[in-house]
Amino acid sequence: MSDRPVLDRLTCVLCPVGCELEVRKDEAGELDVQGYQCDKGVPFAVEEILHPKRNLATSVPVRGTEAKMVSVRLSDRVPREMIFPVLAEIAKLRPEVPVRRGQVLITDVLGTGVDVIATRTVV
Amino acid sequence: MEANETHDVVVIGGGPAGLAAALGARRAGAGKVLLVERDRTLGGILNQCVHDGFGLFLYNETISGPEYAERLIDDVVREPIKVETGAMVLDITPERVLRVNARSGYRLVRAGAVVLAMGCRERTREMIEIPGTRPAGVFTAGSAQNLVNLQNLRIGNEAVILGSGDIGLIMARRLVFEGVAVKGVFEILSWASGLERNVRQCLMDFGIPLELRSTVVEIRGRDRVESVVVAKVDDKLMPIPGSEGVIPCDTLLLSVGLIPENELSKRAGVALSPFTGGAVVDERFMTSVSGVFSCGNVLHIHDVADWASFEGFAAGESAARYAAGERPAGATFRITAGPNVKYALPQLVTAGTAGVEWNFRVGRPLRNVQVVVTGKATEKVHARKKFGRLLPTELQKIKVRSAVEEDLEVSCHE
Amino acid sequence: MGEKKSAVYDVVVIGGGVVGCAILRELARYDLRLLLLEKEADLAEGISKGNSGVIHAGFNVPAESLKAKTNVTGLGMIYGLADELGVPHRKTGKLVVALADEDRSRLEELKAEGDKSGVPDLEIVDEAAIRRLEPLARGRWALYSPHTGIISPYEFTVALAECAGQNGAEALLEATVEAIVFRDGLFRLSTPKGTFAACRVVNSAGLFSDDVARLAGIDDYRVFPYRGEYLITDKDCGLRLNLPVYPVPPRDDPGLGIHITPTLEGNIILGPSAEPVDDKRDAASTRKIMTQLKAEAIRLMPELSRVSFIHSYAGIRPKLVDPSGKDKFGDFIVEESAFRPGWISLVGIESPGLTAAPAIAEMVAGMIGVKMDLRPKPEFKPERPRRTRFAHLGDDERAGRVACDADWGEMVCRCEHVTRAEVVAALRNPFGARTMDAVKRRTRCGMGRCQGGFCTPRIVEILRDEGLPADRITKRGGRSRLFCGRLKG
Repeated sequence: MSDRPVLDRLTCVLCPVGCELEVRKDEAGELDVQGYQCDKGVPFAVEEILHPKRNLATSVPVRGTEAKMVSVRLSDRVPREMIFPVLAEIAKLRPEVPVRRGQVLITDVLGTGVDVIATRTVV
Repeated sequence: MEANETHDVVVIGGGPAGLAAALGARRAGAGKVLLVERDRTLGGILNQCVHDGFGLFLYNETISGPEYAERLIDDVVREPIKVETGAMVLDITPERVLRVNARSGYRLVRAGAVVLAMGCRERTREMIEIPGTRPAGVFTAGSAQNLVNLQNLRIGNEAVILGSGDIGLIMARRLVFEGVAVKGVFEILSWASGLERNVRQCLMDFGIPLELRSTVVEIRGRDRVESVVVAKVDDKLMPIPGSEGVIPCDTLLLSVGLIPENELSKRAGVALSPFTGGAVVDERFMTSVSGVFSCGNVLHIHDVADWASFEGFAAGESAARYAAGERPAGATFRITAGPNVKYALPQLVTAGTAGVEWNFRVGRPLRNVQVVVTGKATEKVHARKKFGRLLPTELQKIKVRSAVEEDLEVSCHE
Repeated sequence: MGEKKSAVYDVVVIGGGVVGCAILRELARYDLRLLLLEKEADLAEGISKGNSGVIHAGFNVPAESLKAKTNVTGLGMIYGLADELGVPHRKTGKLVVALADEDRSRLEELKAEGDKSGVPDLEIVDEAAIRRLEPLARGRWALYSPHTGIISPYEFTVALAECAGQNGAEALLEATVEAIVFRDGLFRLSTPKGTFAACRVVNSAGLFSDDVARLAGIDDYRVFPYRGEYLITDKDCGLRLNLPVYPVPPRDDPGLGIHITPTLEGNIILGPSAEPVDDKRDAASTRKIMTQLKAEAIRLMPELSRVSFIHSYAGIRPKLVDPSGKDKFGDFIVEESAFRPGWISLVGIESPGLTAAPAIAEMVAGMIGVKMDLRPKPEFKPERPRRTRFAHLGDDERAGRVACDADWGEMVCRCEHVTRAEVVAALRNPFGARTMDAVKRRTRCGMGRCQGGFCTPRIVEILRDEGLPADRITKRGGRSRLFCGRLKG
C-alpha cells in the first residue's frame, strides 16, 4: 500500500497526541488513511480531504458605542466553500450595545445550521 | 514619596498568565492580591485574538481568545482581588517596591511577593536589519492584528508577510477575510514556524503561497510601501545573489519572532537567560530576586495560551506561599539543555523536590526521538519519554518523578 | 502663533530645517512680518533630522572658510541658545583618535587648523588620557575637543520655530513653493496653501535650495545629494559612551568618516557613511553600508560587536562637491543674489550647519539689515519653556501631574514611558503637524526597542480622538498613509 503516492499528509488535531496521518487512494479509488491511533483518525482525514469544514472569526462594530468592536465566531464549523458568503452576512451586522458573550447574532446563518455568536461582552 | 500601600501579592499583567496568577495566589490563601494591567481592559493579547484554538486544555473546548479571557476574568472578579486597569508599573526595586502610574493617580506600592506576567513584544524590521526605505505600510503582525480587530482599520490592499509563525499565518487569513490580497508568506527557515493546521487553514485554503528558505531583502517605496524584494537564502541564512524577485505590494507584515518583555524585570535585578529571553527560575517559578516570580510569555514564549495560564496558577500559588513566609530549604541544582535541546525550564530546582515537570523546546525538527533527563554527575537516567516527532515550535514537557539530588541535563536523541 | 494674516511679508523664509528656523527666530527679534514656508508635513524633515546631533567645535573644516567662521561663532552661541529654548543638550567633549603613531601628524594638522579658526582649548592627548576620558575608546593619540557637544537636532529646530512663533512669526507646513514671480518689487510665491508676497526671501531649502533658486530665475547653483546612513543601538545595550569618538579622518573621504556618537538618551549612533546618490529623495538604508558601518565601528570599538541595533536611518546631505571629485571641499554659500536683490540663498549647508545655524541666522539678519530698517522688538521673548517629560520627573512631581490631569497617568509608549498628556500636547503644536513622525520626534514614542509596535495603535486612537479620520493618518504627510479607511461601516 505504501508504494502508492501520498495524496496528502496531515496532523490530526482532535487530541494532543497529534497523529501524523497519510492519505492515499487505494485500488478502488477510495481514500485510505494510515497513521491513526484511534477510530477518530479516519473520519477526520476523510472529512478534511473531501468535505473540509472551517470555523471563522472576525469582528463587527457595535452600535451605541464609540467605535467599539465585538469579536464573533461561528458556533460550529461550516463547509469551507461557505466561508466568504458567511463573512458577507456577518459584515452586515451592526449589533446594538449591550452585547453579551455567547449572544447569538445570526441564527442558522445561510441555512448551515450554525449560529454566529459574539465572543466578548461589550457594554 | 512613601509606599503607603502594601499587598501580599502583586501581579503585573492581566493576560492569560497574570489572570491565572492572581487566581492562583488567591486560591492559595493570599489575603490582599492586586492585579495591575496597563491596558483599559483585562485580557492582554487575548483581546485581539478573535480566532479560536484557545482553551483546549484549560476548558476542554476550543474557544476564541476573548472568550478565554472573559472566563478567567469572571473568575477573577468573583474573588476579592483588587484589579486596576489603565495602570502601568514603571519600576520595581529588589525590595519589591513598585512605581505604579494610572489615570487614578501615581503611587508607590509595597508587595510581599510579585508575579511578573508582562508578556512579550514583537521583533522589528530594524532588529532583522531589512535594508531599504522607511515608508508607511510596514507593520508587525501583532500591531496589525490590533488595528484590524480592535480598531476596524484597513491596513492596506496588497500584503506580503515575512515569517510563518502563527501570528503571521493567522493574519494572512484575517486579511483575506477582509478583502486584502496576500501575495505570499516568506519564511527564512526550511520549515514553517507555525502549526501545520494553520498552514492549511490560513494559507492552503486560500491559495496563498508559502515560500520557505526565503526572506525579504529590501523594502521599496518612498511614502508608502510599493514593493518588496525577496530572495532565497543559503544554509547560513544569507541571501543568495541572483535569486531576488520583486513583489509589488503596499503592505509588509512582519511575524519574525516574539521577545519576552523583561525591561521591568531588569530594573528589579532579575537574572535573565539568553536562551529563553526570560528569567532564570526554579521549580516554584521564583527568579533570582527573592519574592519575585515570573510566568507566561515574559518567562518564555508559549505557543498555547493554556500553558501560560497553568504557569500562572503555579507562580501565583508560589507567590502566595512566599508572602505567607514560606521559604525553600536546601541546595539548588541546575538543569541544562543538552544535545538537540534549545532550552529547558525551570533552570534551577530545590534539592529533594519530586515530580517536577520540565518544559523544553528542541532546536530543530526531530523524528523518532527519545527525550531523557540525565544526572550530570551520575549519568543516571531520571526520566525518559518517546515522541514520534518534535518541532521547535512546540513546547513540550517531561516529568521527573523522583526527588532531584543532582544537576541534570535534558537532551534529545533521534 | 501670530494671528494676523499679512498680504505682504517683510521676509519669507523657505525651508523649515534648523537653519531656516534659526533665521526665523533671529528675524523675530525685529518688527517684521515674517512667514516660513515648509514643504513637508512637519519641520526638520530634511537633513535636520538625518544627522548625528553633534555640536561641532569647528576644527574639521579649513580655517578661513565660511564653514569654519560660522561654526566657531555658532559654537559660542549654541549652548546658551539651547538653554534659553529649553532644548536638552550636553557639552560632552570629543575625541578624534589615531590608532597608529604615524597618524599623530594628522591630528596635529587638525589642531593647527582649529587653532587658526579660533577653536578653543584643543589639545593632543595620550593613551592614558584617552582611557580616562572614554574607557571604550582606543588609540595611541587623540585630539581632544572639550567644547564639542550633543543636542537633539529636531527638538532644537522645533524649539527655534516655536520661539519665533510666540514672537509673532508665522509658519506654514505642506506649503511647497511651486512658482515664483517677481512683480512690482515683490516676490510672489505660489504654494498649495496660497500665494504670498514678500519683500525679501531667504532660500533655506537645504537639499532643494538649487531647485528653489531656479524657480526665482537664479541658476547659479548645483546641489549634489550625498546619502549618509546611520545605525542606532538600544539604550540598554550595556555600553555607555561618554562622548563622540571619531577615527582620524582619511584625507580623501567626502564625509567625516564613520563616527561613534552617543545620544542624550544613552543610545549609540554609528555613521554616517557618504555616498553620492542620483535621487534627492533616496534615503534608503543598504545592506552594504550597514555591514560596513558595523565592521568599521567594531574595529574602533570591539565592544560594539555584542550590541543590538534598534534602528537604521539615512540623511541626504546637500554637497557642492560633485562626485567626479575634482574639488574636495565645498564651502557654505550665504549670499544675496546680484541678479535678484532681496533674494538670499543658502546653499550647501551640510555639516556643521547645525552648530553654525545661530551664526548664519545673525549673518542673514545682517544682510537684510543693510537695506531694511530693523527695529528690535522690546517685547521679544527669547525663552521657550522646556518640554516636560514624565519619564524624567521625580515621584512627587509625577503624582502631582497625574492629580491635575489624568492624561499623565495613561502610558502610551511603554519603551520610553511617554504619557497620553505628552502625546496630546505634541499633537496640539502651533504648526498643526499631526503625523506619526511628528509625534515621534516631539515625544520619543516609537524610538524605543519595539519601534512603535506597541504605541502605534494607541497613537492612532489618540489621533482619531483628536479628530483626524483614519484615512488621513500618515507617517510623514503626503501619501504616507497608514490606512485605506475602515473595514466595516
